[in-house]
Amino acid sequence: MVQEITRYPSPPSVQYGTDVRVFDENLFSLIEDLKDTLKQNKLDGLAAFQIGSYFNVVVVKKEDGSFLELINPRMISPKGKITTVEKTAYFPGLSAEISRYQDISVIYQDRDAKQCSIKASGDFAVLIQRKLDYTFGANFLSKLSKEERKKFEKKLEFGTDIAISESCPTRFKRDYFSKASNIFTIAMLVLLLSSLFVSDTQILSGMWKYQIYLFLSVLVLNIGYFFYGLYEGKKYSSCTSCQVGNIIGTIVIAMIKLIVVMLVSYFVIHPR
Amino acid sequence: MEFENEEKYMARLIVLGGGVSGHTAATFAAKWLGSSHEVVVVTPNSKWNWIPSNIWVGVGQMTKEEVTFDLAPVYKKAGITYKQAKALGIHPEGNESSDKPYVVIESTEAGSAGKVENIEYDYLINATGPKLNFGATPGLGEGSNLGEYTVSVCTADHADHAAHELQKCIEKMKKGERQKFLIGTGHGMCTCQGAAFEYIFNIEHELNKAGVRDMADIKWISNESFLGDFGVGGLHMKTMGYAVSSKIFAESLFTERGVEWIIGAHVNKVEKGKAHYELLDGTMGVEEFDFSMLIPPFAGVGLKAINKAGEDITATVFAPNGFMKVDANYAAGAYENWKASDWPSTYQNPTYGNMFACGIAFAPPHPISKPMSSPNGTPINPTPPRTGMPSGIMGKTVAHSVCDRILKGENAPLHEASMANMGAACVASAGKGLFNGTAAAMTIYPVVPDFEKYPGTGRDTDYTFGEIGLAGHWIKHILHHLFIWKAKLKAGWTLIPE
Repeated sequence: MVQEITRYPSPPSVQYGTDVRVFDENLFSLIEDLKDTLKQNKLDGLAAFQIGSYFNVVVVKKEDGSFLELINPRMISPKGKITTVEKTAYFPGLSAEISRYQDISVIYQDRDAKQCSIKASGDFAVLIQRKLDYTFGANFLSKLSKEERKKFEKKLEFGTDIAISESCPTRFKRDYFSKASNIFTIAMLVLLLSSLFVSDTQILSGMWKYQIYLFLSVLVLNIGYFFYGLYEGKKYSSCTSCQVGNIIGTIVIAMIKLIVVMLVSYFVIHPR
Repeated sequence: MEFENEEKYMARLIVLGGGVSGHTAATFAAKWLGSSHEVVVVTPNSKWNWIPSNIWVGVGQMTKEEVTFDLAPVYKKAGITYKQAKALGIHPEGNESSDKPYVVIESTEAGSAGKVENIEYDYLINATGPKLNFGATPGLGEGSNLGEYTVSVCTADHADHAAHELQKCIEKMKKGERQKFLIGTGHGMCTCQGAAFEYIFNIEHELNKAGVRDMADIKWISNESFLGDFGVGGLHMKTMGYAVSSKIFAESLFTERGVEWIIGAHVNKVEKGKAHYELLDGTMGVEEFDFSMLIPPFAGVGLKAINKAGEDITATVFAPNGFMKVDANYAAGAYENWKASDWPSTYQNPTYGNMFACGIAFAPPHPISKPMSSPNGTPINPTPPRTGMPSGIMGKTVAHSVCDRILKGENAPLHEASMANMGAACVASAGKGLFNGTAAAMTIYPVVPDFEKYPGTGRDTDYTFGEIGLAGHWIKHILHHLFIWKAKLKAGWTLIPE
């Protein structure tokens, strides 16, 4: 019977991936289901997990088109590393670079529980390796290198309930700009308040000069914040939904603060 | 007259072996029985060894002295009679002249070595641990003695020797000579993959520290049919709601650290610089090495059992592998029939009710990992591990049973601790260092999968988790001090769990 293929984000449950102990009708019908599903979806191989069973069973299509049934398969003596670009039905439409072995030897049992072995190389070996990944409750995500995994996770739809979210920085570097801008604005405020206790025009005019410098600095910082923010936003595209909005919002707030302080300063400090 | 009375009521418990299980059993029994009964420990070693830390001795990060201590003062303090001797045979029915059961021991103490003595018992706990059966693989050693081609970390002395050999290799690499490391199991029927796993990554870590990692080819060889089997059929670790199998975890760790592997292998012969092996698919291979640590298979220590008539009844009391038969189901048959209930819970010998076996000394009913063999019929699968935590629990449970029988009467119910109801925590070190150390902490529940209670993997995945990192290393280091503290019976020792 054709079964529905488990797809991401259905998690590879811990219950999946246990050896078959009893070779009975249930097992045989599971194998038939795997074959039917394979044919229907024109796939090269399926692990039982992919149709929701927790047994270590894999069916792969051999080069001559016939099916190879692998019960409790194990890969031993892996040789020769190769890098392949692979797709799997679990992540439809997505591909990733994975390091695999060129030649493998697989130990498995047939329907009569007899222990057999098969040597495989090239594409066939890669296919078996990909299917074997599922038999112990993993998908090929766990096979990716750290960098490749990051890349792949970006490809995945954002916001699923499975705990594989990309590592977003908790602090963006652009925040240093807005922090500096805030400190400068506070300095302007301090200058403004202290000017209330000064009556000497000469000192006041000096203070006004500094206030202008600070004003210009805050302007420059905010311009820097805007452009760096845009650049950083592109780097972590998947991290927040609307980064440009955030950046502009932050700048508007900073500008309002700046203008208020500057306007008051103009009337208080600016010597007439 | 008073003296005679005391003599009459005094019971004697003999504990064979002073390892984790025996030491735990003896010290608790001595505490519970008080001074009106006698506890005797028979162990050929003069020192107690915290075996898990031998790994660190084996890479030169700890000294032999840090992982061992003299048993005599500890037993003196605990009021335990200590016989530094090797047990040769058990006479559970006594002999022609007396019905009183006794054990024949041969002293290994300097000065009186070789002296044979009979000691009578009322209760016997067999916690001898294993015989390190190096002799099972030609070239790996003779009998229980390590051969000249490989090293071992099974005892503190072996580990000390291994550290020196490792240092020699490091010197060679510093001079520009490439070195091949082969670490793993030295036979198709080994257990203790965990120790080899720890050792290979500790070596990798040390080579990195010494700046010679790029001069070393490190390879793993084991009888596991998949990486991460660890003799328990693998485990699934749930971390942060995400499940990882120990296979995937181990494969990523091996790949990340640049360690290659050969699995499903039975090492059948070791020569100078060469290990011959047979794989599960029947192929034969040879692996060269400059440095190799191969764990030997375990066997019973070779105790004999003799009945009243003087006939050898070893086959009745012990399983063919030399471990003592207990209340397990030894007729479970094929893999598909295995049940959690096959595993023993009281560790009482079925023939002689006053004999118990715990730790590695009891005969398990069957492996935990899937049984497999090569087309030539060579069995290649891990045998069940019995690590420190279950061994300690078993020892305490058996001591409890014996004490109850002595204090409350012969029909007092026995205490139970089946490995099918027992969890185990394992902290596997992957490199020692206060700030750059790593260790994989894993817990499984139960050790023996219960397929009826937990369909699928046979384990309760809520209690099965794992983590790798620096915190794991710290835990491992703290455990080292904690357990040595406990074994030395220092203040509060009873509060430290097994």
